[in-house]
Amino acid sequence: MIGHALTAGYAVLMGAVTGSLLPLALEFPFEWHYIRSIIRVSLHVSLVAVTLSTLCSIPVALLIGFKEFRGKTLVTSLINTGMGFPSVVVGLVVLFAVSNEGPLGTFDLVFTPEAMIMSQFVLAAPVITGVTLAAVSSVDQNVRDAAFAMGGTRIDVALVTIKEARYGIATAVLAGFGRAISEVGSVLIVGGNITGPEGISQTRTLTTAIQLEARQGRFQTAMLLGAVLVVLVLLVNALVIRLGNGGGRYR
Amino acid sequence: MTLSATELCHGYDGDPVFDGVSLSVTPGEVVTIIGPSGVGKSTLLRLLALFDAPDDGTITVDGVDVWAASDQRRLEYRRRIGMVFQEASLFDASVRRNVEYGVRVRQSWADRLRTALSSLSRRGNGDSNVVEALETVGLHERADRDATSLSGGQAQRVAFARALAYEPDVLLLDEPTSDLDPRNTAVIEDAVLAATERDIGVVVATHDMHQAERIGDRVAVLLGNEIIEVGPTEPIFESPSDDRTRKFIDGELIY
Ligand SMILES: Nc1ncnc2c1ncn2[C@@H]1O[C@H](COP(=O)(O)OP(=O)(O)O)[C@@H](O)[C@H]1O
Ligand SMILES: [Mg+2]
Repeated sequence: MIGHALTAGYAVLMGAVTGSLLPLALEFPFEWHYIRSIIRVSLHVSLVAVTLSTLCSIPVALLIGFKEFRGKTLVTSLINTGMGFPSVVVGLVVLFAVSNEGPLGTFDLVFTPEAMIMSQFVLAAPVITGVTLAAVSSVDQNVRDAAFAMGGTRIDVALVTIKEARYGIATAVLAGFGRAISEVGSVLIVGGNITGPEGISQTRTLTTAIQLEARQGRFQTAMLLGAVLVVLVLLVNALVIRLGNGGGRYR
Repeated sequence: MTLSATELCHGYDGDPVFDGVSLSVTPGEVVTIIGPSGVGKSTLLRLLALFDAPDDGTITVDGVDVWAASDQRRLEYRRRIGMVFQEASLFDASVRRNVEYGVRVRQSWADRLRTALSSLSRRGNGDSNVVEALETVGLHERADRDATSLSGGQAQRVAFARALAYEPDVLLLDEPTSDLDPRNTAVIEDAVLAATERDIGVVVATHDMHQAERIGDRVAVLLGNEIIEVGPTEPIFESPSDDRTRKFIDGELIY
């Protein structure tokens, strides 16, 4: 009985949503300002999230990699678990955290880019930490000793380690960015896939837009957005690899 | 400066490596430490390089107990000591960047930033000490080569130049030539003797008796878990007072 009522209610709701949105969106299926605003939101959210994750992850990876402490194996396996953590669950937790009942409720962050940054941060951080940890752990202890023997402080040794592991760390950042910009679950939950007046994206990212466009049968727009997403990921890859090599010229 | 170890005891995880070892090096002299593999030569050198505090005993620089001093003072002492390991362990960077490293870490952060920025815009020859150190090991023409592309012997020579560039008062060499051919060995040994002329005190751990004879003013024989004999090289090699020294030297001389 209840199941029936819910299904019926859902159908009515969906009808209302698609009924009202469909003609609006159809008017400008290739509206560039619509697509541009989506790209801007996607890039803004993912780049900020990945930058913050990187800044947190590298020191954490260095600490885990080179400090002996109790529970090190536990922490490492937690990070590895986090690398594959379901994004919808992260979205759910972040949504709760920023909701009225949550600890961050006072900041009014439901359906905002900031909330999306938070959830992508949570998703990207374990990936970046895990891959960075593997990279810095593979730096030869002899090389670290050499830096220390030449008069380096602990900080100098850490910097040398980062520099020696630069390709691995670049891979880590790329993996984190890939995870952040291509995930749908959490941004949909905490961002709400909202567009403002005149179809300008507020919390609509490439992934949530593709999901919406595809569901409504506008495959051309969905494909275009998909192509943009792929190109963006490729561009960022090329950029990071270029930076890695450029840094190498002045080694 | 004079670097001295007095009555050192040290081990790993409660397993003692040596017990009551004393040794010192004065400016311009070469002290060799000989002893079989696994006896603790590297452990002793790491203690002398102030890597770790000894379990017991003291290490002094010109009479000052280093491990009783403040962290800042200890860093200053540490920066007057150079160490070269058995493996070159070069950074994945150019030869020049490798040799510059010790000079750079001694600069203030502002200066380091300035050097980094100016190295982006132009390619100076850099610090004169760096050039001189590379000349000493005969690699000044390879300054812009990638360090990872060097042969084993060249890499070890760069490792040596790295320690020379910041002009330490004491040089600690851990089997610096054990993987090298005679020609590269000769370059390193000449560089050691050149260093003593600049009043650098050198400690060389080696299992090569001939090397100890060639370059050592004094020799310390590490056997069991103590230094069983220490003194001027020639008399000890001619007529060791300890029978174990004689056996050890004879045994090795067969090679
Ligand atoms: N980091 C370490 N942890 C545990 N044991 C060590 C460590 N380094 C050296 N040892 C042990 O200490 C002893 C002395 O080693 P080492 O100083 O390297 O000797 P040598 O340089 O004369 O060959 C050896 O038995 C070695 O196994
Ligand atoms: Mg050794």
